[in-house]
Amino acid sequence: MDRVRRLKLLLWMPVGLGFAVTVDRFFFGLGAATHLSDATPWGLWIGFDVMSGVALAAGGFVLTATVYIFRLERFHSIVRPAVLTAFLGYVAVVAGLLFDLGLPWHIWHLIIYWNPHSPLFEVGWCVMLYLTVLTLEFFPVPAEDVSSLARVRRFLVKMRIPLVILGIALSTLHQSSLGSLFLIMPYRLYPLWYSPILPVLFFISAIALGLMMAIFESHFTAYFYRRKPETAVLASLASAARWVLILYLVVRFSDLAARGQLHDLVGSAWQVKMFWFEIVVAGLLPVVLFSISKFNRRPGWQWGTAAVGVGGIVLDRVNVGGLIDLSRGAALYLPSWQEIVTSLAIVAGAVLVFLFIIEHFRVWEERPVDPKADPKRLPELNPVGETWLGAPVIAARIKYSLAFVLAAALAFSFLANPKVEATGIVPVPAHRARGDVGKLPGISSRVSFNSSLTPSPSPASGRGGTAKRWVRAKRQKATAIPAGVLYLDGDLTGWGVTFYHQREVERNGGEKSCAICHHMNMPHDQNSGCYECHRDMYQPTDAFRHNWHASRSGANLACIQCHEAGYPRTSAQVKPCTDCHKDMIPPGATIQVSSENLVDASGEIRRLITPGSVVKINTYTAVSYVDAMHELCVGCHAQVAEREKKPEVAQCAECHKGKLNYSDTVNLLYQRTAVAGRRVVMPPPPASPGGAAMKP
Amino acid sequence: MKTAILTDTTKCIGCHLCVEACKEVNHLPNDMPRRWDMRDGLSADNWTAVIRRDDDKFVRKQCRHCLEPACVASCPVAALHKTNLGPVVYDKTRCIGCRYCMMACPYGIPRYQWDSTVPYIQKCVLCYDTRLKHGREPACTEICPTKATIFGDRDKLLGEAHQRIRQNPGKYIHRVWGEHELGGTSVLYISDVDLSFLTYGARFGEKPLPVATRPAMEAVPFTFLGVAMAMAGLRWIIGRRDKVQREEGSQEPEE
Repeated sequence: MDRVRRLKLLLWMPVGLGFAVTVDRFFFGLGAATHLSDATPWGLWIGFDVMSGVALAAGGFVLTATVYIFRLERFHSIVRPAVLTAFLGYVAVVAGLLFDLGLPWHIWHLIIYWNPHSPLFEVGWCVMLYLTVLTLEFFPVPAEDVSSLARVRRFLVKMRIPLVILGIALSTLHQSSLGSLFLIMPYRLYPLWYSPILPVLFFISAIALGLMMAIFESHFTAYFYRRKPETAVLASLASAARWVLILYLVVRFSDLAARGQLHDLVGSAWQVKMFWFEIVVAGLLPVVLFSISKFNRRPGWQWGTAAVGVGGIVLDRVNVGGLIDLSRGAALYLPSWQEIVTSLAIVAGAVLVFLFIIEHFRVWEERPVDPKADPKRLPELNPVGETWLGAPVIAARIKYSLAFVLAAALAFSFLANPKVEATGIVPVPAHRARGDVGKLPGISSRVSFNSSLTPSPSPASGRGGTAKRWVRAKRQKATAIPAGVLYLDGDLTGWGVTFYHQREVERNGGEKSCAICHHMNMPHDQNSGCYECHRDMYQPTDAFRHNWHASRSGANLACIQCHEAGYPRTSAQVKPCTDCHKDMIPPGATIQVSSENLVDASGEIRRLITPGSVVKINTYTAVSYVDAMHELCVGCHAQVAEREKKPEVAQCAECHKGKLNYSDTVNLLYQRTAVAGRRVVMPPPPASPGGAAMKP
Repeated sequence: MKTAILTDTTKCIGCHLCVEACKEVNHLPNDMPRRWDMRDGLSADNWTAVIRRDDDKFVRKQCRHCLEPACVASCPVAALHKTNLGPVVYDKTRCIGCRYCMMACPYGIPRYQWDSTVPYIQKCVLCYDTRLKHGREPACTEICPTKATIFGDRDKLLGEAHQRIRQNPGKYIHRVWGEHELGGTSVLYISDVDLSFLTYGARFGEKPLPVATRPAMEAVPFTFLGVAMAMAGLRWIIGRRDKVQREEGSQEPEE
């Protein structure tokens, strides 16, 4: 029993890990525990746990058919373990499914809401029914020892043949409909796997897998419980498995030939290599090894060959279940460690229950006995810790508990940060308008840009994309901008707007007009460019740089120089910037910065500046470059359009010329003025609903 | 009446008002880029998106509301269903969260609330409950300032689409996307760029996807009964053969 104890100790560890992950998955959702995504909604839990779990449980129906339908009584000794394996396999599938379903507590909806067109509906029903059948088939075994269940047991034994037939029919449907699941998504399967007869292929390979799984499982228990392996009986199972595998290969390749996909068998795609690997492992290798009688008579070879074949067909299921589709979509799906640990934990848990049932009920003719299990035995010295842990049975339990707890603790420590990953919003820095304002009439001093605070972009700075766009935009536009005209193209895509700066100054009254647009300046600057505060194309930015003011290399200010002592240091308890920077707001500016609360009802900063109206803001948050430009320009243009009865002045095409065809654009102003706090206000419903004809 | 949407990508100016209107009407929160996004603008909080292509063309993406939807055929609890008016709607009280619809959709439309402990499928429902039922058109088409996306009867919109292509043969690709492929959709496109990128692969024909599973699903009851009867018959025949052999075997020594 020492082998079994070591195996159990090993199995308790993934169960402990899985326990921690279970908490993670059900408290924080699928996004926190898995790497599933909108591009790959099914991952390891479906691809391995469900697809392979069902296939691995095929031994149950194959062996019941062998013994009860074909009446081959010499296999009777391996029927009970096979049915037990099938039962636990299905329990594991359901457990895996509960992890994978987004709303597992709704799983009973399958019973009341029907959609007979859905293969998954059929799979779900077959799982439910077959699990019931397997429970009834296996129940007589544990009921043997309980005298009060004798009548139930007798009844179930009488019902055995109908149950077996029902089980075979359900398995046939179910094994094959796992293949039907994928018929509706031809684009998700490589052509070497996608076939209209996928259900048939799944069914044939399930039979082979069931036979090989029975061999594997028999050798597995024989090794761990030091029993004599039933090599002779298993050899005839192996020979049957060989014929089924040959049939499988023939059907699979003739299907490829019939669909004209043979040319896909050669190629450099990794899927092609995977196909050949799968065919060798799941077909050719077991067929060859089972055919060589010298190997087939040796338990080790038999076990190994069965393991290879089982692995190969599981690989086929995993391939169909998503592995060959990994590289499709935006991002590569690789299972998270939580997904892998959960899968391992489910398998480990199933094996532990299997071992428990084998030891406590008469799955075999005689139960395995532990020579050291006598509770009256003296305790043993643990050679590692030099501690007395009690009798071996008790000591083993202590060790299992320790393995479980330590593994769970380890997993919890990795789960400490349940933050769900976000890629973050990509910043799109706004760049300075290109061109030269030239000599402005009526203005003596030339406008000076303080470019030291925000360096103008160079091809070397920023992301590669920005640099590339900068070069492209420069090539397109740099040569063609005359003096007095600015080209506003904040994100350097070449989609800018030509702004006739000189003309606007002339129209609006020379020097006095500056403050209409240049409502705020950087300190020690006159008429700062828009991009200096509205630094991002689409997101609000902070015009006030707190860290720079506080740092020694910046303004080197102590906290109390701005925040009054004795009050919380918040943005509300701070002296206005204009106390120090007297030149920030030019005289006549339309925006004044003060500490008065003038945000609107929705909590947003008042938007839509119209010239002449004084808007006071109590924050230095600057709206995005795009919003700033639209609100400033469109506000003024709307007034002109109304005053001079020229609606076209307020239309998009007035400014956005050239690259885009805006000629169809009707007046966008209605919608733009309806924007309040990033929400569109829908037009009110018509007085009388005119869509009565739309009713079904 | 089968309602539909016709989107003319040549008229789209990329103002995103349809996206904002959709959020307003369906009470969707502001979007945030997440790990599980497909980078096409759609997400659990964005039911429609305007894709800006590298060639500076705008294409609005939304649920296509197929005439024979793969998602509806695949949903095991019938949480998705195609209404008589045209939209494919979602009943979240039925959903079990299996995400088979996301696997089955050839356009990759349904999205999942991965960050939620109680997650649901999210997709465009053509404003069915909020507006369509009350005789109003969807928010996206109503707000569109350039009428790049319009709402109406499917047959009339198909006529309109073909007429626009006829009148401007040089401007459009001579094809109405959504007219025939995969059985047709209720969201139609005419365009001056190839819109095959909206689907997962260009290799499906005009056959609706649910047709592929139909033979397998129709075979289910026959397989079930056939296998059960074959097994019962085999057991009887083999039992009979064994019995005869035993009787012969027991008689042999006597002879």
